[in-house]
Amino acid sequence: MDALRIDATRRTPLVDFDFPAGVLRLAGESYPDDSASFFGPVLTALREWLAASDVPVRLDVELVYFNSSSAKALMNMFQALETAAAGGRPVRVIWRCDEDDDAMREFAEDFSEDLDHVEFTVAERLDAAGSGRDDAA
Amino acid sequence: MSFNLFAAEEQVIEHADRLRERLADVAPECCEDLGALIDAFRRSYRDQRRLVRVSDRLQAQLAAANEELERRRNEAETALVHLREAQDIIVRSERLASLGALVAGVAHEINTPVGIAVSCASHLADATQRLRDTVDRGALGRSDFTRYLATATDTTALILANCERAAALIHSFKQVAVDRASSERRVFKLGPYIREVLLSLQPELRQGNHTVTVDCPPEPELDGFPGAVSQILTNLVLNALQHAYRDGRPGTMTIRVTGDDPVELVFADDGAGIAPDDLPHVFEPFFTTRRGEGGSGLGLHIVHNLVVGPLGGTITAASEPGRGTAFTLRFPARAPMPHEDGAAG
Repeated sequence: MDALRIDATRRTPLVDFDFPAGVLRLAGESYPDDSASFFGPVLTALREWLAASDVPVRLDVELVYFNSSSAKALMNMFQALETAAAGGRPVRVIWRCDEDDDAMREFAEDFSEDLDHVEFTVAERLDAAGSGRDDAA
Repeated sequence: MSFNLFAAEEQVIEHADRLRERLADVAPECCEDLGALIDAFRRSYRDQRRLVRVSDRLQAQLAAANEELERRRNEAETALVHLREAQDIIVRSERLASLGALVAGVAHEINTPVGIAVSCASHLADATQRLRDTVDRGALGRSDFTRYLATATDTTALILANCERAAALIHSFKQVAVDRASSERRVFKLGPYIREVLLSLQPELRQGNHTVTVDCPPEPELDGFPGAVSQILTNLVLNALQHAYRDGRPGTMTIRVTGDDPVELVFADDGAGIAPDDLPHVFEPFFTTRRGEGGSGLGLHIVHNLVVGPLGGTITAASEPGRGTAFTLRFPARAPMPHEDGAAG
């Protein structure tokens, strides 16, 4: 399955899903005018790839701001990953935020609550612009 | 006592769990499906709790951002107030400085005729004292008396001329300060009024064989200060006579009016023009190229003050040496009311 890349805009995050490598990334701000139509195709692509492949997964979440419906979309993604992880597939989620961003750290705690099989870690942000590529966690 | 916003959902889950236990005996084939439903509901309930927290935090962030915005807006407004105050201070000190320059200029101009008058009077006083001494000694001769008469005639003529010069200067200084409140305001037609003013200047114009042509549509009707317009035109014409045509050749001046609001009035001559170095200074008080020849350096300054003040307009000068000078006045058809705006003073 090919990679999925959507460049960031002022209101939507960078979506950089390198499916062949199993490295996925969300970065930037997320408060789309229509969250369903933005995240719908992203979720569909993720679910299809999870069903079709068994490559280990790493998802970097590096959002600096997201609205409630983006939060719901994130939970849906995490749920899909949790299901895959429960089936024995190695899945890591790395939640990246600034060290002093208390709100984002609390969100991380909340979001990881239901993830029993996914390896969930909190780490420093890679870059401020939210558009760079990374190689290591 | 602590309250739980999700107490009802938790009761539903407990109730469902109990139902599943009871169902295990009655209909065990349904248990698995019901268990999945309960798990899905439990997940949804936790999603809901999370989303409420997300939403609350976002609201809190928004409130904090709004507070910050409000704080910065207040800061910006305070800064603006300070800036305006500073601007007022600058404008005020600028006015004081120009008032100071005016006073210094007045003092300088008056000093010469007054100084001459004082030394002549002193010379006359000395001569008179000497004559009195001679008379007291009984030694007055015809030649002494004739000499005294000659001295008295010369000095009194000088005293008179210089006092008149000082009086004329004081008269022109008085015109610099334009008292808008006391000048008469009325509605008048510009074209006929310009012709009236030119009529009163005919003696000066005829003397040098000069002509002034007026190109003014009949419409423009002004609500303002005809006295100021008269003074402006008079000063512009006299200024042209003094400077543009000093070589004695006859000249043609034109007054062209266009537009009805704002009105544009161009006064142009075909005379000597103004040197580029002098042009930026023509409206400054006491700027004159003819000091010592009777020029006070106030004519165009008065014009400038009248245009900017009572007329509430602007004036610019353009000139090409050898080809003449044009003054362009632009002002509203309805002059601002005195103290109506910041242009006062």
